[in-house]
Amino acid sequence: MHRAIDGAPPAESQSGLTDAQKAMGYFLPCICRPSTPLTILRPDDLGANFEAVVQAIDSLSDDIVRLRVEAEGFAYRPGQFIELSASEALKRHYSLASHPDEDPFLEMHIRLHQDGRMSRHLAENLQPGDKMHVAGPSGSCFYEGVNLDQPMLLIGAGTGLSPIYGVLRDALHKGHRGPIRLYHGARSHKGLYLSDELQALSHARDNFNYRPCAFDPSAPHGGDVAATALEAEQSVSEAAIFLCGGENLVKRLKRELFMRGASLKNIRSDAFTPAPAR
Amino acid sequence: MSSLYDRLGGEGAVNAAVELFYRKVLADGRIAHFFDGVDMEEQIAKQKAFLTMAFGGPNNYTGADMRKAHKRLVEKGLNDSHVDAVIENLNYTLRDLGVPEKEVKEVADLANSVRDDVLNR
Repeated sequence: MHRAIDGAPPAESQSGLTDAQKAMGYFLPCICRPSTPLTILRPDDLGANFEAVVQAIDSLSDDIVRLRVEAEGFAYRPGQFIELSASEALKRHYSLASHPDEDPFLEMHIRLHQDGRMSRHLAENLQPGDKMHVAGPSGSCFYEGVNLDQPMLLIGAGTGLSPIYGVLRDALHKGHRGPIRLYHGARSHKGLYLSDELQALSHARDNFNYRPCAFDPSAPHGGDVAATALEAEQSVSEAAIFLCGGENLVKRLKRELFMRGASLKNIRSDAFTPAPAR
Repeated sequence: MSSLYDRLGGEGAVNAAVELFYRKVLADGRIAHFFDGVDMEEQIAKQKAFLTMAFGGPNNYTGADMRKAHKRLVEKGLNDSHVDAVIENLNYTLRDLGVPEKEVKEVADLANSVRDDVLNR
C-alpha cells in the first residue's frame, strides 16, 4: 500500500480499503492507473518532521500531564498520533487531542510513569520554550469518513481519552448530528481528567452523552469501563466506533462489539503499548 | 452458464458474507480458540481471500500459503473435525444470505478441496 499526499488516486485503486485509509490517501499501487498527477510518500516516510517549541506543561491529574507544543501549519487530523522525540534515543508516540482549525498548538495527554525515561524528562527537565522534535502524523483514529447522522460510540481508558477527545472535538466542529456516547475509564476518580468539561458539554448538547467510569467495588461492574459500555450498548451495527486504551481492553472491546454486529470497517482503534524497558 | 462467482454476486457477495461468516466462526466453541489473540483486521482479509476462492472468484490461491498459515495450528491439534466445523459455518452463512442449495454445495466442495493443504498432509 502506498499513500498519496497530493492528487486523488482512482477509486478502483482504493477498493477494499477502509474509509479511514481512503481518507488518508492510501491506494494499491498494483492496480493504480493514475488519471491525475499523484505525489506519493515512501512507505517509511512519516510525513512532516520539525522542531516544535514547548508552550506549556500542566497537570491534569496526579500522574497525567497535558503537553502543548507550538505547531504552526502542521496538517493532521484530531485523534491521530505523532512521534515526539526529546533526543535521538528518546522517542515516543502520543495521540493528539487538539484541533488544527481551533488550536495554535498540538495537545497531548501523557501519563507519567514512575520509571519512564520520557516521563522523567517531561516532569523534571522540560520547560516552556524548550524544543522537541515532532514527526508524523500517523494513525487512522479520526473523524473523517464518519457520516454526520451516524451514532458514535467513543470508548477511552486512561490517556486513551486524548485521541477520543480529539475525535469528539472534530465531530462537533464538523456539525455531527447523530448521537455521540463517550465512555471514559480510569483506575480512580482522580484519573477522570477533563470530567468537568465533558459534563458541561453533555449538559449543553442534546446529542452528547458522557459516562465516566472509575474502578470502585461499589459501582456497577466495579467501574470497569468495558463492561459498563458493553451493557449499555446493545445495538452497535450502525455505529462509528472508536476504541483507545491498553491493548487488552481494545482487543476485548473490538471482539465483543464485532460479535454484536459492529462492522470492523466501522471500528477504529489505537491500542497503547508501553515503551520497552531499557 | 455464468460462473459460480457471478451467480453468487461477485465481490459484493463476498463482502456481505465475510463478517457474518467470521462472527459464526468466533461464536463456535469447537474452533473459536484457534483465533485467540489474532489481529482481527488481518484475519478478516484472510477470510475474504478464502471466501473469494471458495466462491470460485479470482484468487491467487497457493497450497503452500495455506499449509504455512495452518502449520502451527495443526501442531496444536487442528484436524478434520475443525475443517468440518468451518465448512458447516460457511453453509449456514450462505443459507442466511438466501443462497440456493445448489450453490451452497458448490461452495462447500471448493472449500473442501483445500482440506489437505489446511491440514498439512
